[in-house]
Amino acid sequence: MPRRVVDRLVLPLAGSLTTYLVLVGGGIVYATVGNSASDGLVTQMLINAVVVLGMQIYIGNTGVLSFGHIGFGAIAGYAFAIFAISPERKAEQIPDAPFGLAAVDLTPFQSSMVAGLIAVVVAFVIGLGLARSGARSGAVAATVITLALLFVVHEVARNWIDLTRGGKTGLSFSPLGGVTLQGRGWIYLALFLALLSARLFKETSIGRLAQAAREDDLAARSMGIHPALQQMVALLLSVFVVSIGATLRVFELGSINPRLFFFKYTLLTLTMLIVGGRNSVTGCLVGVVIITTGSELTRYLAGPSVDLPFLNWLLRSGLTDVFLGASMLGFMIFRPDGVLGDWEPDHWMARRSVGKFTDQPLEHSPVGGLRPEGLLRATGVVVDFGGFRALNGVDLTASSNEVVGLIGPNGAGKTTLLNTITSLVTPSSGSIHLDENSLDGLPSHLVARAGVVRTFQNLRLFPALSVQENIEVARLAAAGRVVGCSQPDVEFVIRASGLSELRHRRAGELDYGNARRLELARAAAAAPRFLLLDEPTSGMGDLESEQMIHRIRDIAGLVQAGVVVVDHDLNFITGICDRVYVLDQGKVIAEGTPDEVSQNPVVQAAYLGGPIDSST
Amino acid sequence: MTELLQQLVDGFGRGGIYALIALGIAVIFGVMHLVNFAHGELITVSAYAAYGLFVAGLDWWIIAPAIVLVAGLTSVAIEFVAFRWVRGAPDFTMLMTSFGVHFLVQAAFVMYVSANFRQFPRPGWIFQTWKLGGISLEVFDLLVILLTLLTLGITYWVLQRTMFGMSLRAAAEDFDAARLMGIRSDRIIRGAFALSGLLAGVAAVFWLMRSGQAGPTAGLSPMLKGVLAALIGGLGSLTGAVMGGVILGLAEVLLISRLPESLVGLTDGIVFLLIALLFVFRPQGLVTVRRAERV
Repeated sequence: MPRRVVDRLVLPLAGSLTTYLVLVGGGIVYATVGNSASDGLVTQMLINAVVVLGMQIYIGNTGVLSFGHIGFGAIAGYAFAIFAISPERKAEQIPDAPFGLAAVDLTPFQSSMVAGLIAVVVAFVIGLGLARSGARSGAVAATVITLALLFVVHEVARNWIDLTRGGKTGLSFSPLGGVTLQGRGWIYLALFLALLSARLFKETSIGRLAQAAREDDLAARSMGIHPALQQMVALLLSVFVVSIGATLRVFELGSINPRLFFFKYTLLTLTMLIVGGRNSVTGCLVGVVIITTGSELTRYLAGPSVDLPFLNWLLRSGLTDVFLGASMLGFMIFRPDGVLGDWEPDHWMARRSVGKFTDQPLEHSPVGGLRPEGLLRATGVVVDFGGFRALNGVDLTASSNEVVGLIGPNGAGKTTLLNTITSLVTPSSGSIHLDENSLDGLPSHLVARAGVVRTFQNLRLFPALSVQENIEVARLAAAGRVVGCSQPDVEFVIRASGLSELRHRRAGELDYGNARRLELARAAAAAPRFLLLDEPTSGMGDLESEQMIHRIRDIAGLVQAGVVVVDHDLNFITGICDRVYVLDQGKVIAEGTPDEVSQNPVVQAAYLGGPIDSST
Repeated sequence: MTELLQQLVDGFGRGGIYALIALGIAVIFGVMHLVNFAHGELITVSAYAAYGLFVAGLDWWIIAPAIVLVAGLTSVAIEFVAFRWVRGAPDFTMLMTSFGVHFLVQAAFVMYVSANFRQFPRPGWIFQTWKLGGISLEVFDLLVILLTLLTLGITYWVLQRTMFGMSLRAAAEDFDAARLMGIRSDRIIRGAFALSGLLAGVAAVFWLMRSGQAGPTAGLSPMLKGVLAALIGGLGSLTGAVMGGVILGLAEVLLISRLPESLVGLTDGIVFLLIALLFVFRPQGLVTVRRAERV
């Protein structure tokens, strides 16, 4: 079996199954030994687990803090109740329900599916709004939009009396109230499917691209990833799972009112998600268990059966909420990634089985096909930062079969030129062309897709992803867009950049030199027409720079990409470049082969401060 | 016309309170990049302080300055206990930390006081009105507007003219650079929290004079309004925050007076919806602060 299938399908499945059996088994054992209360507790815990898994799919993979998921839960919960409650009961409670809903009679299963779909439709609209607002990890606008959803749904539920019967009483299934869901069969099934969806989503291409954007939005965009699509898919799947959990919760309780899905439940589920580790599917289940246990423990301690006079100040009603708040705060301060971080049991299995799958030799040539020569042109680029003119009419041409260097003193505008080409900076005038196509005004992810990919002066990897995943993500982002040759094999790129041994390490754990190599490898895996490298040797010693020269030449040759490289180090630049541009104070002051340029008196003056001969 | 004028005064009165809260949130955002969802807890604590002082038999003239002081001290205390530890953490962590503080303080009040609201008397004069021509203006609104302007004036002076204010603005522009210039980060952050707490305290006085009650969730509504106002103002900008507060206050008053009777209960929901739409189309707020990320 190919290693990829094992890593991304078989082991995650095995790991999830183990987690599932442990959780459900433990629940059953506890429910059997305990009393009737513990039976209800286990049921609630498993339902909460479904909801929290649903939240993990969105919050975990995208890093966007959503307060709206319980709002979606409220929508699904109400939809479920309105569809599933028998027409006779509805005639008593909501006789004036709009859209003829009073007469609708669906089975609970049908109702929960319809409820889930309704919530998904609402989520689609909200998702468009989130995308428009530029949602990304930690974005405040996205959090406020989702918070608004939670509030608005709550207000509507309280005020649309005809449909929801308002806030005081809510809707209930049977006149006497009481539990309607018999047995836990449906819950076991829902939990199993929720767990599989969450765990496998993490391994899908969509999940990976979303995680890359979560780790570093800017780097993701300059690899050609525009995370809106991935975030939308994550949101829809996540809302569907949350909705199913919500309908189970309503059915189990036999009633719904606006308070059931509001701040309190949001606090509970978010704390569960965060305590276990929001980036880990297994972690969020661990969080569910910890918080359920802790809540029950505090409830018991604060109850009448415990009487410790010297602790009376602490053991009183309300302790459970203090426990939740304190857990949330405590984990954010001391362990913000939760108990498990992003660890999954199959990671452990993968490491154990590394030896069993020997590296297969690479038979075919890594990249087939010969790419036509490409031309990257910048003409008359002017960039102003406020009153400061950083670039003043710069022209630059690079062909895809050469290495072009950009040198110049600090503040000469080298990085600004790269930023302008990759559309991170908008020029005041001037234009950028790749072959015949203008790149002006394209957002940076489209520039990357057109074939111009860059690295950053201050290293921007996806720190929580492994070395291999960093490279895979870049390859995925470019899949289907590479013209003229086949995409390089991930395996080949890993080996060509000497990262074989480190493939399962997180990028964030690499030392500086390897991190630089990975950034180069990641950029190359996208098979760009042009690689723009911003100070690839900064902070390196002479020997390392020397090696970097060969590595860049090899890897650029591999994907037949042209290179534009910015650096301070003259030896490095002369060693690697076919042609060099010298920038000073926003202007090109010289251009030519490294030898020509280093003989040029103007350049010598700019670099060494020698006298300028006005005749040259 | 007269009606509109009355609504404007009403709107500026409300907006002034929001502006004070929003300014505090913006000041903290400036130095820490933290959107403080726990800012409302300063008002919750102030509310209980007011209630306690009333029970002790004191009058508003003493209670008002006491509230301002309590809010300032609480703000510094919260920084010391919680926010100090997450300086420079990712945005997600800081957001969750502030929500953690928010929930924890609420839960503590439920546990140690009660989930129910406690009433205390409001000053008798706040409903008095002035008749000016055809319009009657609430004295309270005018007072709020006046005192808000005064507070903003003092804040402006502190920020523009004192050494502390200049360091704070420098830190808000570029925290690392300010540190390298020898500005002591501890002191600046603590000072920012104190300033933001005092501003919240002034807002709390007005808010509580009008509501006359203390409860665990007393701070929720002012916090949301403050955060929204700060966001409308573009978060990083101090002037923007004040403008955001005034805009929000005016929008609310105008909306309430124009909504049909049956929807008045939904005012907060509708305001929230409109603001959500605002963030969909202008996620950086109305006043855009350009913050270039160095790459």
